[in-house]
Amino acid sequence: MTAFKDIEERLKEKAKDLLEKGEVECVFAYGRGYDERHPRPYVAKTKEDAENLVFNEYCTFNLARYAVKEPRKKIAVAAKGADSRALVQLIQEGKLKRENLVILGIPAAGMVDAKSGLTLDEKTTGAFANPVVYDVLLGDKLPEAKNSPYEVLGELEGLSGDGRWEFWRKEFARCLRCFACRKACPMCYCDPCFMDQSRPRWADKSPTLDGNTMYHLTRFYHLAGRCVDCGECTRACPVDIPLYLFHKRLAKDCEEMFNQAAGMKLEDKPVLVDFRVEDGDEILL
Amino acid sequence: MQNPYLPMPVRVIKVTTEVDTGEIKTFRLAFVNKEDEERFDYLPGQFAELSIYGKGESPIGIASSPTQKGYIEFTVQRAGTVVPGQVTSALHDLEEGAIIGIRGPLGHPWPLEFLEGKNIVVVGGGFAFTTLRSLVNYMIYEENRRRFGKISIIYGARLPGLLCYKDELALWGKRDDLDLCVTVDKGNEAWEGREGFVPAICKDVAPCAENAVAVICGPPIMIKYTLPVFFNLNFSKENILTSLEMRMKCGIGKCGRCNVGSKYICNDGPVFSLAELDALPRDF
Amino acid sequence: MLRKIEQGRFGELIEALLARGPLYAPVRDDRGVNFQLIRKASEPTLDFYNTLQSPKLAWFPQSEDLIRYRLAKGETKGEAISGPVAPTVVLGMRPWDVKSLAIMDLLFLGGGKEDPYWLEKRRLTTVIGYGLASEEEPDGADFFRTLNIGAADSDGSDVFLLKKDGDLLLEGITERGKGLLGELTFLKEGTEEDERYLVAAKAGGKDRKTRFFDLDANAAADKLKAVFADNTFWEKEAEGCISCGTCTFVCPTCHCFDIADETLFRDGVRRRFWDACMFTDFTLEASGHNPRPRTFQRLRQKICHKYSFYIEKFGVVSCVGCGRCTRLCPVNIDIFSLVARAVNL
Repeated sequence: MTAFKDIEERLKEKAKDLLEKGEVECVFAYGRGYDERHPRPYVAKTKEDAENLVFNEYCTFNLARYAVKEPRKKIAVAAKGADSRALVQLIQEGKLKRENLVILGIPAAGMVDAKSGLTLDEKTTGAFANPVVYDVLLGDKLPEAKNSPYEVLGELEGLSGDGRWEFWRKEFARCLRCFACRKACPMCYCDPCFMDQSRPRWADKSPTLDGNTMYHLTRFYHLAGRCVDCGECTRACPVDIPLYLFHKRLAKDCEEMFNQAAGMKLEDKPVLVDFRVEDGDEILL
Repeated sequence: MQNPYLPMPVRVIKVTTEVDTGEIKTFRLAFVNKEDEERFDYLPGQFAELSIYGKGESPIGIASSPTQKGYIEFTVQRAGTVVPGQVTSALHDLEEGAIIGIRGPLGHPWPLEFLEGKNIVVVGGGFAFTTLRSLVNYMIYEENRRRFGKISIIYGARLPGLLCYKDELALWGKRDDLDLCVTVDKGNEAWEGREGFVPAICKDVAPCAENAVAVICGPPIMIKYTLPVFFNLNFSKENILTSLEMRMKCGIGKCGRCNVGSKYICNDGPVFSLAELDALPRDF
Repeated sequence: MLRKIEQGRFGELIEALLARGPLYAPVRDDRGVNFQLIRKASEPTLDFYNTLQSPKLAWFPQSEDLIRYRLAKGETKGEAISGPVAPTVVLGMRPWDVKSLAIMDLLFLGGGKEDPYWLEKRRLTTVIGYGLASEEEPDGADFFRTLNIGAADSDGSDVFLLKKDGDLLLEGITERGKGLLGELTFLKEGTEEDERYLVAAKAGGKDRKTRFFDLDANAAADKLKAVFADNTFWEKEAEGCISCGTCTFVCPTCHCFDIADETLFRDGVRRRFWDACMFTDFTLEASGHNPRPRTFQRLRQKICHKYSFYIEKFGVVSCVGCGRCTRLCPVNIDIFSLVARAVNL
């Protein structure tokens, strides 16, 4: 496995090169935060900026979230496994153009969520080690995780329907409506989000449990077949609602029913947009 | 202590459709309780929160003058091309006799003591004329008229059908103690008045800056082009007044929504001189 | 007035406070410690450094009913919902959180109009402050020393609580606090040695090392006003910002709220609830005009409101250096270093 320090050096070099040659307007990557454990998303616009780039195990951010805001610019994006899947999904959805992107692929394992101290792996999120699409690979390819990312669902799936309902209601009761989950998510680009509409108003504006439930369930379903399991929503949540568990469950359903995971191949169509004669009809029954 | 969040009941006693699109209406309201009417002691330039339970509240400038006794008036545009305005839509659906709520008066009025003894140039555009109408009616009220110097009014709208208070404008036009100049961007066959944008008309009328104050309200684009005209006429920034609009909720300087610099527009404004606005960050 | 109780008898103290009325105190769950309305005497803990969220919810709940109404054909009558009926105690507030109450008072009780909901709760709530014992180290995100707050400051508390060896010292600060301690007859008298310990702890708290820069509030206010128009600076600072409301919701001095009517069939409530200047639609007007459509403008508003506008309006910084916004920011934006950079620009 290529050391993070080496990846950082290659990232700086490549960014400098791209900016110097004018091949991209900016590079979305990571910069220094207030300490080692807290880097920040960083946009390098000049070759001098490129010197400020960093990469370490705490650079968990999915930068596709920023890329999707710049659909017309020629940009470079540092992308770990799940991040690259997000870019692919966004390209499939027509939000980004492949030819406008220089994808700086980063094979990475052992990334750490600074807040919880948890490693990003198949038991949490972002287990995908290698970028699925890239223009440059900034490290050696890694073996992919052996375990299914859905194994972690076992406990929850073992509960009865009422048990799961109780589990999620308890989690949603804590929701602050800070909307960090949707704001951190690269796929949550709706403008306006259904939660911000006042006519009709889909959920109470004040943070009631019913409104919170409405918000999260709707968001989960909006992300069905689209979520790439990067885990940004869950890491962003200030009250630690394990949103990834629901997203994983829907991803699992999609994969089982349509044999397609989100954001894996550029030539795929988004799974809920595509229709094939051989598609199962379980969801209709 | 009176709870400042609790609206007082008022009855809609008259609804006037001001413009031919029907999108602007004036609501004449009378207090249900006598003591509320006494408590609602206002001056031109202030605003109030109109409340419809189940829909919410909307901050609206008071369009009547305190010299008009027994009622208060609000001219309301149905919001909603971009942000659906629940309250303004509900207001527009009201019929005479309906009871709604009101909280206020809120904010600072036009600085009447400062205006006293000066020549007043009132410049308004479109629907933003409401608190200026209040000011004019206040100044031309019999007992008040001599407190103010020459009064000039320049009022414009895009089309003749979009002018508010048409009957009142006709009455003002007949008075010899004020100069009224009504203009539209583009006239029609029936229009006999002036045509032209407000800034151009101001340039044309060229009010004298000597001992004069300009009070200007209108859409941002009108304000943008009107201000230089008054600078060229040598009006100082202290002598140009306007009223700011920001999204507001509480109206009493708590909810933070209308904060610009060290001011809460609802409580510290909405009336400001240009000199005061210059001291604020450009964030409104 | 100084009283004490063995730490092992903390539950007894809680029991006694619970018997008097509603009690908010820090409770640990698997995610960390937060203030909660206590149901059982076994729930509260004093073993924490800082709560994840601020205790402002005891005075300014996330959602608060203002007016109750019932839709009717003719006149719909509204009825103001009055404040809490019972005197409440909030136990275990760190000095920086206690300080935030005085900062919020300026807003909610000032400007010529008092907010009756805040006032009522302030009037009826007893604050038991909780000093940081000398062995507890700040965690790197906080910077309360920059705001001139000591780790064992007792100002603003009614009762001040401090750990000492196996004991909990309880100092009565205000008349209300002394009255409360007087009622708790099972407490022991503090000794002279306890007194000396308390004085030393308060003095020592002033020197507790957190992140620090020499902040002159008025100079910072002026400087930020000067930097306000420097869009390049703010765009750079905000480039990671995702415009969520986390920082404002966990902040002890953020007070912005929204008001909405929520009706079920005919019964409804006009309620207020936390809002955030970081949200895109915070300043979106009905006309469609939005004075702050861009992320950097909203981050700038938040920073300047705390470190410039509030100082100009009320004379104090609207920040206590608790570090919560930094700790919980999804993209690690740090108000301390941001302000330091702006001030030294």
